[in-house]
Amino acid sequence: MGMDVTIRVTGGAGQGVHTAGGLLSRLAVASGHHFHATQDYMSRIRGGRNSYSVRIREIPVRAGREAADILLALEPGHLPHFLPAVSPAGVVVCDLPAGGSERKDRRVTAAPLRELAVAAGSPILGNMVGTGIVARALGIPPETVERVLALEFKGDFLDKNRKAARLGAEWAEGRLPGSYRLPEAAFLPRMILSGNEALALGAVAGGCTFAAGYPMTPGSSILLGLSVDGPPLGLVFEQAEDELAAMNMAIGASYAGARAMVATSGGGFALMTEALSLAGMMETPVVVALAMRPGPATGMPTRTGQEDLAFALAAGHGEFPRLVLSPGSVEEAYALGHHAMEMAEAYQVPCILLTDQYLADTVVDVDPGDFPVLPVHRRIVRGDDAPRDPNGKYLRYAITGNGVSPMAVPGEPGITVVADSDEHAQDGHLTEDHAVRIAMVEKRMRKGEALATETLPPLLSGPPGGEVVLVGFGSTKGVIAEAREILAGEGIAAAAVHLRQVEPFPAQAISEILDRYRTSLTVENNRTGQLARLIRAETVREVSGTVARFDGLPFTPDDVVKSVKERR
Amino acid sequence: MSGIFDTDVENAWCPGCGNFPILDAVKRALERTGKAKHEIVLVSGIGQAAKLPHYVDVNVFNGLHGRALPAALAIRMADPSLTVVVTSGDGDIYGEGGNHFVHNLRRNPDIAVFVHDNQVYGLTKGQPSPTSDPGWAGSLQRSGVIAGPIRPLAAAIALGCGFVARGLAADVEFTADLMVRAIAHKGFALVDILQPCVTFNKKNTYQWYGKMVYKLPADHDATDRVRSFGLALEWEERIPIGVLYCREDRPTFEELHPGVGEPPLHARETPAEAVRDLLRKRLFTLP
Repeated sequence: MGMDVTIRVTGGAGQGVHTAGGLLSRLAVASGHHFHATQDYMSRIRGGRNSYSVRIREIPVRAGREAADILLALEPGHLPHFLPAVSPAGVVVCDLPAGGSERKDRRVTAAPLRELAVAAGSPILGNMVGTGIVARALGIPPETVERVLALEFKGDFLDKNRKAARLGAEWAEGRLPGSYRLPEAAFLPRMILSGNEALALGAVAGGCTFAAGYPMTPGSSILLGLSVDGPPLGLVFEQAEDELAAMNMAIGASYAGARAMVATSGGGFALMTEALSLAGMMETPVVVALAMRPGPATGMPTRTGQEDLAFALAAGHGEFPRLVLSPGSVEEAYALGHHAMEMAEAYQVPCILLTDQYLADTVVDVDPGDFPVLPVHRRIVRGDDAPRDPNGKYLRYAITGNGVSPMAVPGEPGITVVADSDEHAQDGHLTEDHAVRIAMVEKRMRKGEALATETLPPLLSGPPGGEVVLVGFGSTKGVIAEAREILAGEGIAAAAVHLRQVEPFPAQAISEILDRYRTSLTVENNRTGQLARLIRAETVREVSGTVARFDGLPFTPDDVVKSVKERR
Repeated sequence: MSGIFDTDVENAWCPGCGNFPILDAVKRALERTGKAKHEIVLVSGIGQAAKLPHYVDVNVFNGLHGRALPAALAIRMADPSLTVVVTSGDGDIYGEGGNHFVHNLRRNPDIAVFVHDNQVYGLTKGQPSPTSDPGWAGSLQRSGVIAGPIRPLAAAIALGCGFVARGLAADVEFTADLMVRAIAHKGFALVDILQPCVTFNKKNTYQWYGKMVYKLPADHDATDRVRSFGLALEWEERIPIGVLYCREDRPTFEELHPGVGEPPLHARETPAEAVRDLLRKRLFTLP
């Protein structure tokens, strides 16, 4: 197994929890190790009770753990909340709590975080003192800490942070157990990315040239990524007045030939659905990143959930083909961001990228080799390649074999592009002719059939048949994979299936897989088993049950293992 | 009369509808711009007025109810060489799309917006609109409209619109002239067009408008914002038509937006080397 240590930094918003967690993650990579970081934060600007968990291993890490080995508590008052999730042999570093039973807990090491912070130049440097202490416990050399700090801070602020970390490390000398020292390892160049950053990068690499959005957690950081990474590559970004505007802007831009995208969460997506249907009718390619959080309504704005699967599949009035992708890792967020851009244009359909707060805010180190530069295929036609009627009028909705009509854009001499939200004839003008209606419905549906021929197959790991198969979509990929490994280690022949595409659904492949295992369980962050229902509808097969978690927190491998053992 | 912008699409308006003279005015105005068909995009939402683009042989984006403006803005952002004109109704622009009206006045994109203002929802059969006169009894509000009307021209002046005009459907030449000036104006240009609904609005008729309107005198100073605002509020006694307010001192959204311009978005490429650079920046290296 090797080294496997989880550090949890906790405190109020504004106390530097995120900074400390991010630094410890970078220190792991600088030491030649790998990490997986997740955040649990409250919906507020200052205060509250937030945590940043960093799990460090010698191999790439794709899931977090419930139990922390090292708890760095920047706010001692939070101890009663966080202590139960510290492992029995764990270490808790914090300023001496005033009164309370925590003082007697053998795991608690009272550290003068505030005093050393003041000595370093400012009481706000407690997070950096704590980072120095934890780095010392991990056996990370002071030179490495200084080099990583130099990447984050500049000038006077760098000096102060450096001093704070050094004071922390010196204080920790001989005071903490040596059991969490990371073994020596060679430094490897890695990229450090969150799921949302990777998704935005993938979209930009996939040729996205227009993005609009209204901020909504946890989709906002996709907008941030698009607005920062996009412009150097020609992307035009606009903050919309509401999600209705964002989606209609994306469709307008797409009509004019941009590769367009929006990003939001469930509530914002609800506002976009009328325009999703417009994209279906107008056949304008558009990509929607839907970062799920628990609902209904405002729900738990900063927590995670997978409650919008059924919504994404059914959103929008009327019938039209769509692509729904569900990345399961930071690497897949990049790959599918690109794929979404390509497929939306190839089939002139809306494409939904279904992610959630857990993957959005998950940060890991990744192999640069998993982030290839892939070609972008534009499919806009010009001049004689545009289909026309006998009078030379461009037919935007020309009836074709696979339903995809060659798309021209306005501005091309000799062509006028007519796009309508009403049912329309091949030239785009509205019609109430029933025969034309039938031909157009069939044309659009043929695109769905063509799209289905390029369905990404589910990914199976573990034995090809046997006792139990765990099926998930989206962000649960890493957790299920690790749960499967734990079960296998205990002699339980378990397999894991990850769906990175849920529409068109890979029905044949899933049917064949389910038939080879005695027990099948879906693993989903919702109460009602939406994936189990989807499987039933698409394969006419019942899974044996669902491992559900809907408290707003992500699964851990331990949760899944426990549930599997109970139900086997 | 047949013109270069005519189409053979079957017309869906009532006989005598105020949309017909507005359609004539739009075609005349477009002819006078000297633009070719492929350089013009007509954008609309939903409603009888919003069908107008189908009857003009140019690029057409006939989108959702209330959402003409976001689409029009994005088309301009994607390709600023296109002449983008929105033609839609009062319910579409001021009602369902009210938020987009407000925020695009703030943005000031270079689009001309022609609102067919008949003070009634025609296509849904006679409900009051945001510009209906208080007390007017329509479908769904049989005891008379309680809410006060939007004064669109006053709202536009208040929100920084640089071209604010009122046309009269019955006066095609006069309205076409306003449209030409609106299209030529650099920035958001609003032409609210008083339009009788012969089927559902028996109050604001051709005769009623004929009695109420007056043309702004030649010496009206359209650069005087306060004076123009006052004119924009006139309604009960008499209604001014013409260019109420015109100033071109505000830069357009497209001029200020750092990403908008050449080449248009459909022609922008994604060079592999640029993507490689972007990814390289994310590489974690130690100094």
